[in-house]
Amino acid sequence: MHRTHQQDCIELLVEKARRGQIDRRSFLKAAGMLAALPLAMRSGIGWAQDRPVIIVNWGGDAIDAYRQAWTDSFTRETGIPVRIDGSGPTEGAIRAQLASGRPSWDVVDAEPFTSLTLGREGLMRPLDFNTIERSKVNEEFATEFGVAGYLYSYVIAWDKERFDSAPQTWADFWDVERFPGKRTMYKWMNGVLEAALLADGVAVEDLYPLDVARALDKIDELRPHILAYWGSGAESQQLFLDGEVSIGQIWNTRAIVLERDTEGRVGWHYDNACVTPSSWAVLGDNPAGSEPAMRFINHALEPEGQIELLKLLGNGPSNPAAEALIPEELIELNCGSVDNLARQFKLDIEWYADHYGSVLDQFLSRTGA
Amino acid sequence: MITRLPERWQYRLLLWPLPILLLLCYVIPFAGIVTWSVTLPELGVDNYARLANDPSIHAVLWRTLHLCAIVGVCALLLAFLMAYCWLYSSSRWQRWVELCIFLPFFISVLVRTFGWLVALRNNGLVNSWLQDLGLIDSPLALTRNTLGVIIAMVHFMVPFAFFPLLSSMRQIDDRVLLAARGLGASRLRVFISVFLPQTLPGLLGAFIMVFVFCLGFFIIPAILGGGSTLMAAEYVFLQMFQTYNWGIGAALCVLMLVLVSGLVWLLMRFSRVERLVG
Repeated sequence: MHRTHQQDCIELLVEKARRGQIDRRSFLKAAGMLAALPLAMRSGIGWAQDRPVIIVNWGGDAIDAYRQAWTDSFTRETGIPVRIDGSGPTEGAIRAQLASGRPSWDVVDAEPFTSLTLGREGLMRPLDFNTIERSKVNEEFATEFGVAGYLYSYVIAWDKERFDSAPQTWADFWDVERFPGKRTMYKWMNGVLEAALLADGVAVEDLYPLDVARALDKIDELRPHILAYWGSGAESQQLFLDGEVSIGQIWNTRAIVLERDTEGRVGWHYDNACVTPSSWAVLGDNPAGSEPAMRFINHALEPEGQIELLKLLGNGPSNPAAEALIPEELIELNCGSVDNLARQFKLDIEWYADHYGSVLDQFLSRTGA
Repeated sequence: MITRLPERWQYRLLLWPLPILLLLCYVIPFAGIVTWSVTLPELGVDNYARLANDPSIHAVLWRTLHLCAIVGVCALLLAFLMAYCWLYSSSRWQRWVELCIFLPFFISVLVRTFGWLVALRNNGLVNSWLQDLGLIDSPLALTRNTLGVIIAMVHFMVPFAFFPLLSSMRQIDDRVLLAARGLGASRLRVFISVFLPQTLPGLLGAFIMVFVFCLGFFIIPAILGGGSTLMAAEYVFLQMFQTYNWGIGAALCVLMLVLVSGLVWLLMRFSRVERLVG
């Protein structure tokens, strides 16, 4: 097939624009110089840069915090607008997006086992590690489909007015003689089975695969002392603020706020806590296309934004390079620091990817009244 | 055009928007749910087999039915007393009863649920009053359990039982009661043998309405149940969003609809619906 040079130029231009290598203004200018505007208009290029990248997180304070830590600076640097949707990227919600055939979400702040499960089924985009620098996070916090944006932890928190000594281990958590009072644990199971097994004497290195039956039996033992299973961070916080529980398994982010708001009445630490990464992942066929999404993820792995998030919400940076830059007063709070990581155990994402749904059903039928 | 149609057709035309809306917004999506229940994760009736055999689902269903029945009975009892009180009291008292019914009716269920949490929790209003009065030593477990869910649901449902009951009580002819008195029946006898039987259709209707309404409750059990009062609606949510078993969630929806349809059929069969709202 014969082509004029001009046609070839236009084709190159269209190709470049499709890949996002030039922006719309340059494209139109060049196409105009080639007197090919009508052709260019028909080229059917979706201008990804004009379409915001939709980032989906879990709502609440996190919407403003993500904006401050990540999305504003991203838009400043790249010109790509971002919109944050706080509706909660659970596995079912992501699947519903994809099943509709026209997902409206781009990047999700999902559970790591969610991105792994969905990725293995071919529903998520494999991350583009040419754009995303994999070296920015620890090997263990990145998979082919998800890379940690931050770390958080399920810690033991307690009301200091109820007992003098601090509960250190999960055996202490189960010890209602030494540490009397009501308990609260996470409603959706993460870290709860692990806590029960550790309390029952299982060693950390033997935790996985979890012995579910044994864990559930151990939870039954504590049943009369569990006031509530909290379903939202705010709920766990309220239980402590109102003095309804004396000890609980709660997120470190809420524990930090509680300690501050109660002026130290609520204590907590990272000993024997369960640390887990979040997971940036990209939906297959996402509307904004691969490149802006991958660029956003790479941007969100920069230490500055992650430290900002630590300041705002208490989530630990996933990029080890952040540790050296953290302001002194926040060092202790960082669940991702080398020291603090050594005091915690890691949630096994692989195990959750394989077992979450079926075991959660069992768990809920046992915790039910 | 329209004016040329026979008159009865003109009226039928006016009735059409509602069925069409129901078809578009309810019947068609529900057909999708039914399809999911037999195709996800694979074609067959596996989901229904699981509904029949899975003890954890039975626990949820049993808890739901049991709770709805308790709420139904309690709401009925309260509504009956209030309706009776309204019927036979001065207009001043009637205003009070109306206020008690209408005021909560217009407050969002979410606000009321948190209100109950504040009132009923361990160091909440009720427990601290009781403790201050020296009636109890340690706080009663009034919420974050099934009891809390029942209290809040009964409170929510009383108006829904009140109106059908009131309308059936108002249809009772006073002269019949007077005649019974005239024939020598005691007040109690008149109530039990003459008044109460005539309110039975209203009672049944109100109970079924409350029961059906309760089956779908989500917010109240989720907030006041302490994370351990999983009811059918939250279970469906869980299967849809948390664990991704759309098939089983859909099958449970279908089962609930069958149950509700059966109850509504009963309602139509044994009481005249138009009299409950008249």
